[in-house]
Amino acid sequence: MIEAITQFFTQHPLLWAFVKAVVLASFTLVIPLAVIYVERKIAGFIQSRLGPLHVGPQGTFQTAADALKLLLKEDIVPEGADKRFFYLAPYIAFVSTVLCFMVLPFAPGWVALEMNVAVLFIIGVSLFNVVSILMAGWSSNNKYSLLGGLRAVAQLLSYEIPMVLSVLAVVFYTGSLSLTGIIEYQVKHGWNIWHPPIMIAALIYFICALAEINRTPFDLPEAESELVSGFNTEYSGMRFAFFFASEFANNFFITAFAAALFFGGWDGPVLPPIVWTFLKVFVMIFVFMWLRWTPPRLRIDQILRFAWQLLVPVSLANLLFAIALGVR
Amino acid sequence: MSRQRAMRDTEYNPLVYFIDGLVTLFNGMVVTWRNLWRPKITVRYPYQRRPVPPRYRGLFYLKWNEEKQRLNCVGCTLCAQACPTDVISMVKLGKGTHAGVSEFTMDLGRCMFCNLCVEACPFDAIYMGPNYELASERRDVSLFRIADLAQGGEEAVRKNIETIERLLAEEEKAKPAHAAHAAGGQSE
Amino acid sequence: MVINVGPQHPSTHGVLRLILTLDGEQILACEPVIGYLHRGLEKMMERRPYRHNIPFTDRLDYLAALSNNLAICQCIERLGGVEVPERAQYIRVLLMELQRIASHLVFLGTFGTDLGATTMFLYAFREREMVLDLLEECTGARLTYNWVRVGGVPDDLPEGFGQKVLDFVKLFRQRIEEYDMLLTRNRIFRSRTQGIGVIPKETALAYGCSGPVARASGIPYDIRKVAPYEVYNRVEFDVPVFEDGDVWARYLVRMEELRQSLRIIEQVLRDMPDGPVQTKLPKIFKPPAGIAYSRVESPRGELSFMMVSDGGANPVRVHIRAPSFVNLSVLPRLLEGAKVADLVAILGSIDVVLGEIDR
Repeated sequence: MIEAITQFFTQHPLLWAFVKAVVLASFTLVIPLAVIYVERKIAGFIQSRLGPLHVGPQGTFQTAADALKLLLKEDIVPEGADKRFFYLAPYIAFVSTVLCFMVLPFAPGWVALEMNVAVLFIIGVSLFNVVSILMAGWSSNNKYSLLGGLRAVAQLLSYEIPMVLSVLAVVFYTGSLSLTGIIEYQVKHGWNIWHPPIMIAALIYFICALAEINRTPFDLPEAESELVSGFNTEYSGMRFAFFFASEFANNFFITAFAAALFFGGWDGPVLPPIVWTFLKVFVMIFVFMWLRWTPPRLRIDQILRFAWQLLVPVSLANLLFAIALGVR
Repeated sequence: MSRQRAMRDTEYNPLVYFIDGLVTLFNGMVVTWRNLWRPKITVRYPYQRRPVPPRYRGLFYLKWNEEKQRLNCVGCTLCAQACPTDVISMVKLGKGTHAGVSEFTMDLGRCMFCNLCVEACPFDAIYMGPNYELASERRDVSLFRIADLAQGGEEAVRKNIETIERLLAEEEKAKPAHAAHAAGGQSE
Repeated sequence: MVINVGPQHPSTHGVLRLILTLDGEQILACEPVIGYLHRGLEKMMERRPYRHNIPFTDRLDYLAALSNNLAICQCIERLGGVEVPERAQYIRVLLMELQRIASHLVFLGTFGTDLGATTMFLYAFREREMVLDLLEECTGARLTYNWVRVGGVPDDLPEGFGQKVLDFVKLFRQRIEEYDMLLTRNRIFRSRTQGIGVIPKETALAYGCSGPVARASGIPYDIRKVAPYEVYNRVEFDVPVFEDGDVWARYLVRMEELRQSLRIIEQVLRDMPDGPVQTKLPKIFKPPAGIAYSRVESPRGELSFMMVSDGGANPVRVHIRAPSFVNLSVLPRLLEGAKVADLVAILGSIDVVLGEIDR
């Protein structure tokens, strides 16, 4: 039976690609539901509240219900908006996230597209996110959105650099640009996180990851107390849902990427590899959420100063360090 | 007065600030972690309710006097005079010792729940009760009539009017002969 | 770029509208527009007998209703020469300080949210809820207490109230430590508050700032010390004064005031004598003709009432000096050259209540 299916798809590679695309896209849509639910629960518990409770057991279906509500809402386009870009922005954000998931190995062999330059691909594709935010902010014909969009672009671009540098440190250290290669290296030589240059790289990566997914203390693109809701102020219904979904899917992805780079991906004893991947991801997501509900947010100039004055030089130095140690 | 200088920070130094930031952030996370395990304070309102303290100022009620089989209210309008926003209006029934009210209306749409009317009442007739769920979808229901306000509802109002009318009639009968005696006897 | 903040905006704390002229993230000019909550309270008060006006003051500074109640009652008492029993004075001070804690907790929570620390909001309101529970038990209401009367307070404290307050004081001391750990010592928080929105001492004096805003600018001015009312001259407490005048100093003043309020509460509960709580007054209260002026230290600053009587049942003229209104007038000057992100921090640190500004 399985052989028959395998054979069928080997004969029709296009069909197989389509199946994979659908699975990935729906995964990207479903994962936010879980992540948002967990986020709301954790936020609630940290803040002495209970979080969602009513829809389903312990409120499990709350986010699904919210998503359904968003799908049914009227699609509002503000007057004077640049319609083409306004329509396009959320989908670009979403597609960039799906593309990132495409090359992510969940377990040995569980990868939609085995690519030998996966790391490079991810770095390139995730930058689409910035474009979509700028498009959304600018095309909304709203000053709050514009401010939020501009802030977001300045922030994301500044943090992209130390992030890439710290990822490069891993690449040089392990000598592979393929995620599967990096993970297999770790399976053999132990997790990267235990090696000094990568430790620093991991710390920088985490800080940049917080900035990349717009979380406190770097959540000012959507600082609601100043900018109402930032770049997505004018979005509602379906399009807002896509922005929201891509943000939380990004959250998932960026931790999964970290797991692959620093924590040995699927590597771990006893449990099957896929469980290890998800376990690591969710532990990291929990830390992110825990962190989100603790500090206040920085100001835009402080954020940029922090990135350029500290993170960039340190990650550059760290990169040299990693290269020196990594060359064998 | 204690004059002091606010705790100031040293000049900006990226590394020092960063390390300080990490440490203090960790401290903050300790606090949030501790709170993560504290009992939650949510009261799931329609399913759970907080106990209402005895002094709570909610919807009014007119006190029913079981012994005298009537409402305590004598229709003196002191409460209406004490009200800053003219919430109360009433129709007095009879006069003299046995006077009461046949109609007593409160427009809660205007009420501030300030308690001044309750304090003004010398007969312990009017109180503010524990009922706080007064929201409605209709505007006209903010008008509360005597049957809504009296302890015991319609039944109490009917009995109240009966008692007062009976007493008034008795007084009327007794009046020509021993007015003073009768009044003294009943006001006990 | 001209941007309109408010009247419907998450961090203008009410219906305040600010017209900002921006250059990128920099604010060039700010024009506050007020009046969205105007109800003509002063005029309304002139049409009503003295004692009917007390509940209206609940609607001024709705976060510190009891301070307003006290201010107007003191004014009427001065007008009519009414004595207040000693126990009533102690009860008033106790309630005032509880009210101050509740009000400062709102400041703390909303200030945290404005700066992005959403959790602080929930923590502060959790503790405020305890204060409100206490006040509800005593007064019967949770926001518009109306629990000060001309010549005292309407009723004595309920049974066991003192112990409950002491329990709260004990718990709250620990919680303040927690706030410090979560927010005050946080590097990011300090970076966001230090050195911005500086009100120099001269400016504060020139604009007539009072309360925590003035004290953060180095002006040792607290009505409780300068012109003690009720029993404030019998309790021991410090008034924190900081020299810096920035958002950080204003925050620290309020945090310190929380601690001082706890001190006052403990002393008041210890020293409170027995006795009546209200002076008997005639049903129709007609003070002799004259002018009276009273001032109290509300959580926001110097709150004053002026009333003119012509010997009739209604005041002829009522004027309210609302601390928020005066403090807000510094805002345009503070915001020149500030960043958009600092707007919420500065506005939050002045801690305005629009009910009081618009009256």
